[in-house]
Amino acid sequence: MSHYEAPVRKPLVTGDKVYKDVTEDIVRPIEGRANKTWWIVFSIALVAFLWGLGCIIYTVSTGIGTWGLNNTIEWAWDITNFVWWVGIGHAGTLISAVLLLFRQRWRMAINRSAEAMTIFAVVQAGLFPIIHMGRPWLAYWVLPIPNQFGSLWVNFNSPLLWDVFAISTYLSVSLVFWYTGLLPDFAMIRDRAKKPFQKHIYSILSFGWSGKMKDWQRFEEVSLVLAGLATPLVLSVHTIVSFDFATSVVPGWHSTIFPPYFVAGAIFSGFAMVQTLLIIMRKVSNLENYITVNHIELMNKVILVTGGIVGVAYITEFFIAWYTGSPYENYTYLSFGAATGPYWWAFWALILCNMLVPLTLWVKKYRRNIIWTFIVSIIINIGMWFERFDIIVLDLSKGRTPSSWAMFSPTFVDVGIFVGTLGFFFVLFLLYARSFPVIAQAEVKSILKLSGDKYKKMREEHGDDVQMYNLPEQRPLPDFKGMVEELEQKNEEVRDEKGELIESLLLKIGDASNDNADDLKRLSGVGPALEKKLNQIGVYKYQQISKMSDKEFTILNRLIDAFPKSKSRFWSGEANILNQI
Amino acid sequence: MSSNKKYWKAPEQIHESAKVDHLEKNEFVEPLPTDEQDGESNSSTTRRDFLKYVGFSTAAATIAACEGPVIHSIPYAEQPERIVPGKSDYYATAMADGFDFAGVMVKTREGRPIKIENNELVRTTSASKARVHASILSMYDVQRLQKPEVKGEQRSWVDFHLLVKDRLRKLKGKPIVFLTQTFASPATKKLIREFKKKYPSTRHVVYDAVSESASLDAFEEKFGLRALPKYELSNARNIISIGADLLGDWQGGGCDTAYSQSRQPSKEMSRHYQFEANLSLSGGNADYRVPAKPSTQKRILVELYNRLVNNTTTVDLPKNITKMVDQAVNDINNNKSRSVVITGIQDKNAQRLAMEINMALNSELMDVDDPKMIREGSDAEVMELVREMNQGKIGALITSGVNPAYSLPNADAFKKGTKNLDLMVSCAMKMDETASLAEFVAATPHYLESWGDVQFSKKEFALTQPTIKPIFNTMQFQDCLLDWLGKEESYYDFLKRYFNNNYEGLSWNQCLHDGVYRYEKAKVEPSSSTVSFDAGQVCGQLASSSVNGFELALYTKIGMGDGQQANNPWLQEFPDPITRNTWDNYVTVSKRDADELGIENRVRSNGAIDGDLVNIKVGDRSLKNVPIFVQPGQAPGSLGLALGYGRKSGLKEEMQVGHNAYPLYKNFKSDQSVNIEKTEGNHEFACLQLQNTMAGREDIIRETDLDTYLHQSKEEWNKTPEFSKDHAMEPVDSKKVDLWTSFDRSIGHHFKLSIDLNSCTGCGACVIACHSENNVPAVGKEEVRKSRNMHWLRIDRYYSSGDSFDEEKEKLKNLGTFETFKDVETASYDNPQVAFQPVMCQHCNHAPCETVCPVGAIGHGRQGQNQMTYNRCIGTRYCANNCPYKVRRFNWFRYNQNDEFDYHMNNDLGRMVLNPDVTVRSRGVMEKCSFCIQMTQKSILDAKREGRPVKDEEFQTACANACDNGALTFGDVNDKKSEVFVESKDDRMYHLLGYLGVEPNVMYQTKVNNKNKMKEKSNA
Repeated sequence: MSHYEAPVRKPLVTGDKVYKDVTEDIVRPIEGRANKTWWIVFSIALVAFLWGLGCIIYTVSTGIGTWGLNNTIEWAWDITNFVWWVGIGHAGTLISAVLLLFRQRWRMAINRSAEAMTIFAVVQAGLFPIIHMGRPWLAYWVLPIPNQFGSLWVNFNSPLLWDVFAISTYLSVSLVFWYTGLLPDFAMIRDRAKKPFQKHIYSILSFGWSGKMKDWQRFEEVSLVLAGLATPLVLSVHTIVSFDFATSVVPGWHSTIFPPYFVAGAIFSGFAMVQTLLIIMRKVSNLENYITVNHIELMNKVILVTGGIVGVAYITEFFIAWYTGSPYENYTYLSFGAATGPYWWAFWALILCNMLVPLTLWVKKYRRNIIWTFIVSIIINIGMWFERFDIIVLDLSKGRTPSSWAMFSPTFVDVGIFVGTLGFFFVLFLLYARSFPVIAQAEVKSILKLSGDKYKKMREEHGDDVQMYNLPEQRPLPDFKGMVEELEQKNEEVRDEKGELIESLLLKIGDASNDNADDLKRLSGVGPALEKKLNQIGVYKYQQISKMSDKEFTILNRLIDAFPKSKSRFWSGEANILNQI
Repeated sequence: MSSNKKYWKAPEQIHESAKVDHLEKNEFVEPLPTDEQDGESNSSTTRRDFLKYVGFSTAAATIAACEGPVIHSIPYAEQPERIVPGKSDYYATAMADGFDFAGVMVKTREGRPIKIENNELVRTTSASKARVHASILSMYDVQRLQKPEVKGEQRSWVDFHLLVKDRLRKLKGKPIVFLTQTFASPATKKLIREFKKKYPSTRHVVYDAVSESASLDAFEEKFGLRALPKYELSNARNIISIGADLLGDWQGGGCDTAYSQSRQPSKEMSRHYQFEANLSLSGGNADYRVPAKPSTQKRILVELYNRLVNNTTTVDLPKNITKMVDQAVNDINNNKSRSVVITGIQDKNAQRLAMEINMALNSELMDVDDPKMIREGSDAEVMELVREMNQGKIGALITSGVNPAYSLPNADAFKKGTKNLDLMVSCAMKMDETASLAEFVAATPHYLESWGDVQFSKKEFALTQPTIKPIFNTMQFQDCLLDWLGKEESYYDFLKRYFNNNYEGLSWNQCLHDGVYRYEKAKVEPSSSTVSFDAGQVCGQLASSSVNGFELALYTKIGMGDGQQANNPWLQEFPDPITRNTWDNYVTVSKRDADELGIENRVRSNGAIDGDLVNIKVGDRSLKNVPIFVQPGQAPGSLGLALGYGRKSGLKEEMQVGHNAYPLYKNFKSDQSVNIEKTEGNHEFACLQLQNTMAGREDIIRETDLDTYLHQSKEEWNKTPEFSKDHAMEPVDSKKVDLWTSFDRSIGHHFKLSIDLNSCTGCGACVIACHSENNVPAVGKEEVRKSRNMHWLRIDRYYSSGDSFDEEKEKLKNLGTFETFKDVETASYDNPQVAFQPVMCQHCNHAPCETVCPVGAIGHGRQGQNQMTYNRCIGTRYCANNCPYKVRRFNWFRYNQNDEFDYHMNNDLGRMVLNPDVTVRSRGVMEKCSFCIQMTQKSILDAKREGRPVKDEEFQTACANACDNGALTFGDVNDKKSEVFVESKDDRMYHLLGYLGVEPNVMYQTKVNNKNKMKEKSNA
């Protein structure tokens, strides 16, 4: 009864998997070789990354003027991308920490990749606050480090400073949490690794994991503690990012709804990105049995809930902007002014992508449709990018003094850096997919008997109390003793037959010994291997061979595997000549 | 460093046995030279120390080997008496470039002029202050001529003069003509008279590129003196202007100070009617502005004459204009002697008519006893000269301060005529269009390097003195003349002698110190007798003027003027106060006409404006591919185009912008009949302000009318914004709604700046003064187009979306839920109300920018300033996003020493204008108005050193100093006797976006217009 799960629950691992299958399926991409598709995608990502790197170098060496910003809109794509990437980095910790605390077992198939995505996304996000600075080489000034500048200290009033702490804390906790979970899986790869180099690397990575009960106990404890630590971070990070806007005086930014709305939006976009990545990964790495349609549906439900929160927030923002009666609120990013103004397309892109399209997921058929889910997840990612673009650019473009109203259009550098971070993200993710266990196999194994397809079926067939280790349909063991005898008898027969043949051969050509053997390799088609075989039979000299006829060659053919029958025709002639020399 | 540990090799050593000692001593035959290695035997230098020393010395040697920038500065061998390093010296001098005449103070540092200030002693101010303040940069211009040139080759002055004198002698009586600017210089006139004595065939033709001949002729006809009537508007009650941009360059400018005085809200406040074609600064400031094309303006003038002098109505006018004329006539009749009618119509008869009206009104505002002498040009003489040149009648042409090859309407004829000359000498600062035609080019100094005198008006004079030794090998026109006359004396001696001989009772030293002087006994020779005036004929002629098609009204921009300073990046980047365009001139057209012609202005995705191109044709002359700008308030049927652009010669490539409109300036008439047709193509404007209305927002510019202001309580027209606290409304400045604990501001100084919207005309002198004081870079057309101008101080210009701002606010209130804001966002194209508002950093006591900087680069000063620490700034730009006023400016690039921005900061000469008290900002940092902290700090330190309290007038900012209209008042509000304290308690005081509660230290004074609201309502 210890592995009981209600039969109505759909299995989380399908396809009759046993423990060994899990291991095999998950290490396959690591131990195997990358296919052509991987190389193509990786090359594209790498090129994009290098292009972005070039754009960053150009920006840092020339000035922020290479971007499309101006005196009115001093942030645009940079902070849009920053918030977008931070948002994407939200799903990982939610899945691994919050769902762990809530004992949601379906998280086990996806948490590893979701966390990896989180970390890679936060790395991208972290780039922007640094490169968007006018003097990025002084970026360390935002750290509260004792310095030689006298009493200079950071400004703890600034939300940007809170960002520094929030993002760095989030990144480090996520990294530790992710890595902790990886330990048993690395150990598994280490134990399987055949090449010494690989074994060495993975044994370093696995921190000497031994698989003892004590290891497992500590592992579980640390996971719980970290989950407890990470859970508030899920809320805090985007709350603090939202303070960048909410604590300002810019109409449209200054909004008390921002913290919860940003968190919901972040989870919304994070899950969308997880969908995008996992739908591809399950296909490419043949993990359909672990990341099932069920998983996808469950994630779609999270998307529905958070999307709903976001939608309500939009409506609230729109309503409040109108309800204030303040003319300064007429042009905020969710307002009538925005919907009809020069940025109408950005406004409607937001509404369409984030509010309308996700509504289709209310229909079960669409929710379980993998292709549609994939399309929706990409649309949500686009929509969430527009949300941040709208908040930043639309609100700034029509500020309080109309004389300073302006608009923004990106330069190739803006675009290049964004594409570069996409490239960088995928480079990291693709490398991860080929060198890390992409599913937390140790955890999946812990629920295999509970929720594996095979075991569920077993329980269904034989009752809940079935002993899963005493498999009922085992065949009786074969009669090993008889088999051995039979085999020996057969070998003896063969040996006898060979002896007779050799005897008759030597009778014809005469005996010889190894003492002054001729060099048989001079015969056509004879190499060292064949010479050895001939010697074993007792053929040493040219004289013996010169006496051979077709009959003898037929015997040799039977005695020696892969005997060069066609060449042996010449041997007696050749041997004759060689003998006379 | 060295360790005291002992290592032993055998147990014996521990016990210090004698055996070991003995063995050790005998180990080597000779003792090891350890002392030599270690220096001293007890030296503690170890291997590690050695490595450190090697490391440090290598690093030090490497650093020393790096080449630092070599700055060539030569110390004084002897300390000059008056030059104290770090201390500014001020010299009074006068600018007189033929177009702009102004008495100024020049601030010099270490012998280097760095800034122009106003000379408060000058009564007759003239000229656009923006150009005067910017003129200092024109001195540090790398394109200037550095040596005299003969046939394109640089020669010494000795050679040059010998050659010229030789050629003058060879003329043998053929006429010599001086074609010069208006010098308004009695001494120069004397000098030319002396020249005439030596060369009797000499003629002096004075040429003003932008002609005031009509008015001069009219005045001459009436009063027998070639001068311009002076209008003393400070006591005016009614100002009726017909096409006269009295706040711009009309008749030499200079009316704005008195005008501003008359606009102070009181029972005596003036009322201003403006009938005009182009929307001008004057139109923007007027109480009633009526768009009327030039031919209509003439009829309005006739109508006014008839109504005011003859009491008859004769002219057919559109109904709305008749109504306005009625109203104006009514107002004038209420107070005739303090009313004035002025006109900018370039027609002698029109000018005469205006004078007649004022005479008939007995107007005390028109001063004919002390008329302005700053225009002397005669169109007829110039035309005659060109004709004679083409007939080969002229022997020598000597030009000075003029550029006829560029600015003459018939420049081609002039160019052709120069080929018939025996001798052409051009005295010029630049190799301009005219100088490049001349065989002899005399390199002249800038006025800040010259001597001279100026007669502003009949009784007011000024002296020009050099403030720096000529930078180049130049010689001023008068010195050349003296040389050609064979005199040994310098112009300085000549001038001083002339002064001492002619101004009895005045001291040369005192006058030089003051810069200006009045000489009541000044006599000016009458030039001709008075001519009688046939009003009937004149009126008939004016009233019958009718034009088919479009009428072009040529004007000068307050930044560019006649185009002399086209190579000045400050002026190129100075936005036109009305259109807010920079680096351009363009045809302005009314919306109605634009629609008919199929012309539009388009807003691009980056927010910049593009426009269509047109060809315009005046008679046989045409201008191709001119950009066209749809201008609210432009009179339908009229087009506007600024003179002074499109110069090519002697200019940096970046400055060669716009189109030369002078060829269309036929017969020196500013109004022309014109044909227009649209052509293919697109023009990119660099416009600073894209949104033209306030979108119905109330807290930006507050305005009320005089009646309300005088008779109703402040609450009615200038209510302090309120904030709801516990469901009760509290005024926003109440401590109850304040989250902050602020420190005690009553101790020490607390600076505030008050901006009087009634006094501000929007002229922009403050903008240039701010550039000059604070080393603000020029960024070029492309960057301005991207909304990246660096102006610390901007003057916002708003049009109303309805006929007035009140209507706009009303419109917004009544806007339906699902109606777009287009209604309030789009300026009324017919005749919008216009308002100007200078905006700089508001120095909020609760500054939104200060809290958001992660590194604390912005702090709040004890004296109220919001202080930007450039060194600490890392450039997150959060502060600028959070600034409600959008006054912070980011250094997107490095603007100095950068070939991409090849303006004055990219060469050593141009950088001489930089103020050493203000940092030149590096790229990647934020900058903004500092309340000129370097100036206030200096005042405080000066007073401290002298052990006295600071006087109120000592606290100044560059903008407040530059504004002689009194629109900007700066000072210490803790000084209860200060002007700014009084302003801070004024009923009109409000804060821009006051409801935010950011407690700005900049205050605005509500604009009060003098519209007759009550009467209008009863009429309606």
